[in-house]
Amino acid sequence: MPPLLEMLGIVRTFGAVRANDNINLTVQSGEILGLLGENGSGKSTLMKVLYGMLPPDSGDIRFRDAPLDAKSPFDAIKAGIAMIHQHFMLVEAMTVTENILLGWPGGGQVLKHKQMAEHIRQASRRFGLDLDPDARISALSLGRRQRVEILKAILRDAELLILDEPTSNLAPTEVRELLDIMRRLRSEGKGIVFISHKLPEVLDVCDRVVVLRAGKLAGEAAVASISREQLAEMMVGRNVPMPRVTEGEHRRGALRLSVRGLSATGLSAITFDLRGGEILGIAGVDGNGQLELAEALAGLRPVTDGIVLIGDHDATQASVTARVEMGLAYLPADRSHTALVKAMTVFDNLMLRDSRRPPYGTRALLTPKTGVARARDLMAQYDIRAPGVDFVVGQLSGGNQQKVVIARELSRAPTAVVAHQATWGLDPGATRFVLDQMIALRQQGAAIVYISSELEEILSISDRIAVMAGGAIAGVTPNRNVDLRQIGLWMSGRHA
Amino acid sequence: MSDPSRAVAAAFPARLLAFSGRRQGLGVNIALALALSIVCAAILIALAGRSPLAGFLAILDGAFGSAHQIGAALNRSTPYLLSGVGVAICLRAGIINLGAEGQIALGGAGAAAAALAIPNAPPVVAIVVALAAGALAGAAWSGVAAAIHLGRRVHEVLVTILLNFIALLLVQQLLAGWLGQVGAGFLQSPLMPRGAWLPKMPDFDAHIGILIAVVAALGAWFLIWRTPFGFGLRVAGASRLAAAYAGFSRSQLTWGAMALAGALAGLAGGVEVLGIHRRLIEGFSLGFGFKAVTVALLGATEPLAIIPAALFIGFLETGSLAMQRQIGVPTALVTVIEGLTMIFVLVAMAARRK
Ligand SMILES: Nc1ncnc2c1ncn2[C@@H]1O[C@H](COP(=O)(O)OP(=O)(O)OP(=O)(O)O)[C@@H](O)[C@H]1O
Ligand SMILES: [Mg+2]
Repeated sequence: MPPLLEMLGIVRTFGAVRANDNINLTVQSGEILGLLGENGSGKSTLMKVLYGMLPPDSGDIRFRDAPLDAKSPFDAIKAGIAMIHQHFMLVEAMTVTENILLGWPGGGQVLKHKQMAEHIRQASRRFGLDLDPDARISALSLGRRQRVEILKAILRDAELLILDEPTSNLAPTEVRELLDIMRRLRSEGKGIVFISHKLPEVLDVCDRVVVLRAGKLAGEAAVASISREQLAEMMVGRNVPMPRVTEGEHRRGALRLSVRGLSATGLSAITFDLRGGEILGIAGVDGNGQLELAEALAGLRPVTDGIVLIGDHDATQASVTARVEMGLAYLPADRSHTALVKAMTVFDNLMLRDSRRPPYGTRALLTPKTGVARARDLMAQYDIRAPGVDFVVGQLSGGNQQKVVIARELSRAPTAVVAHQATWGLDPGATRFVLDQMIALRQQGAAIVYISSELEEILSISDRIAVMAGGAIAGVTPNRNVDLRQIGLWMSGRHA
Repeated sequence: MSDPSRAVAAAFPARLLAFSGRRQGLGVNIALALALSIVCAAILIALAGRSPLAGFLAILDGAFGSAHQIGAALNRSTPYLLSGVGVAICLRAGIINLGAEGQIALGGAGAAAAALAIPNAPPVVAIVVALAAGALAGAAWSGVAAAIHLGRRVHEVLVTILLNFIALLLVQQLLAGWLGQVGAGFLQSPLMPRGAWLPKMPDFDAHIGILIAVVAALGAWFLIWRTPFGFGLRVAGASRLAAAYAGFSRSQLTWGAMALAGALAGLAGGVEVLGIHRRLIEGFSLGFGFKAVTVALLGATEPLAIIPAALFIGFLETGSLAMQRQIGVPTALVTVIEGLTMIFVLVAMAARRK
């Protein structure tokens, strides 16, 4: 039987960058293919070419045994390909059914609302989507919204689904459920391309993996025959182990961040003290108050009760800018809309929070000459791979985008840092870079609050570990002979 | 709405138009748009039973035929440029300010009132004071809009549009009352004192308003690209979350942008009153508010590009009016041709940004 999808000799360049350099890729019906590679290796580009979003420079695509030349996603959808984007294309004020009916192909013959709701119910049952056709999108979790997109694909009879980093914003249970849905789709004969940086997931669900490196095909393997270490090596050419912080390597400094009974919507009575040279890892299932805590510390969320001290300053009511000036750096989890302005340049993003301070400017004026010089320095120092400071940030790979944020926040020599999901969407090498930066800062005497849903990272760099559940801290432990069972209990909200 | 011209692209089926190729330059697109609008205009003029060729010659002659015509076209472009730049400043921050019309009207009233209050002032003083009063009146009016929008969380589109009606009625009331000329057949003020008339440029029939407007556009360019405030506007227009994270307060940005837009529109009103009518006339600002938005979008909210955009519309209108006089096509047709041209050009610009 011919493969469901065959991509042959795909080349796509952006100026001097060869994002896809002669790539061949096949997907069978009833197969989950893992598409792996470092940030910027060309995975999304390849999928955008397939989906008609980017015309290739050269190469051929065959789909369901016929040539496919999609000029737009519309053509690709018609041919039976669906791409689930990270940012969902749903109307929040409408119900699931209404969203599915929106842009339903075949214009003239309008499907009845009731009929569609019934289709949705059936498909939802068959694939374990657990979706209520009458639920409003705004009331659904990210994971559920993603399933609406998957449902759309199913109902439009897509034979091939492209999932580009679908798990990076999901809670662990939602990830497990998504993987189950993928398995059901596979058993119904659909082909799936699954892009992820999380190797355990990939090994769990995929049948076969294809690895890209710098735009080229770097390897291919059946999952049954490969280990995590081998896979990591295929991706980056070496195995990247987690760093390790050993307690007591250096002296603790002064009190840098002191939080007393901090409360806000979704956050109740958080208390901790943090000295210079200390990393407090905050673990927990995503959505248990981590975002609220990060925002309350950064000055982006009104505080209803409690005190925040940054160094000697009472920052409880201080503005965002005042907190930056007190020495607080903040790496938000939401990179696309908060930490970065994707439509603006590398230079603009490096100056984002510092435009009123030298070298970027004064209170009244920007000083582009010295600002650009600083931006160039930062690009070199933090190894931001971009053609120049005027390059649009949204076109950088995920790893390089995060490097822009890190360069901006850490180059201020902060005394306190709040980092939230700082490694989301990053490949193992880039993840290592972020963790190393945190450790270096600790060595320089900064106090760091490292919030992450990746327990492995927390265990790797924290001096102390706090676990959040239901908007409060469920427990704190030094990072020494940690009882993982205890951490699990705290995470599930049960106080031991 | 982060990028206004992208909204335009969404509103018009750009891809259906033959010229929306993927990688052509902006120049090619605009040239094609102009060509297409000429064809459409030709068809419309022919349908009206007139010769398209004669029509086009009349437009060209009306716009560029003499120093007098060029001057008239420059005068016409002036309020569009001033108020368009103001609207663009707001759009940069994602604020849709449709209140230019009311701000222009009150600006005119402010300028007229000030000029009439100091009848014996020396010319330079009279003009500066009157224009400043106009700008202040415009800014005060947009300030009202900002206050309602921020204080009561009413959408700015609604607030600015509704305040237009109130502003027009206010001016009417002023003209019916103490600003009005007793015994005149229409609602108008007495003639401005001579010292407050805007001087004309040598060899041209244009008053110096266009120079003021160009300087304002340059100033807006500087504000947007060379100050932290302008940077804040650009960040806020792209992402409100990022602006908050960067420490730019939304209310400060909104106050600032709205006040500037109001001041520029008020200045436009003052320039109209002192340069063209030399008195305050009821309804002198009719239609200017939407032209301001059109010009801002045509110039892609880039002050330096709004200069040619405003001139384009000013010359097109002046030429079209001449065509109407010379070959007698109906006024409505002229408006349709103008509108079509603007739509084609906007679509051409939007298509390139895809
Ligand atoms: N629109 C664009 N313009 C210019 N360069 C681009 C554009 N899109 C992607 N690139 C470049 O092409 C290369 C491949 O990018 P791509 O997004 O495909 O990587 P990726 O493998 O999906 O990375 P990530 O894991 O970070 O998502 C990168 O160097 C990127 O900077
Ligand atoms: Mg990608």
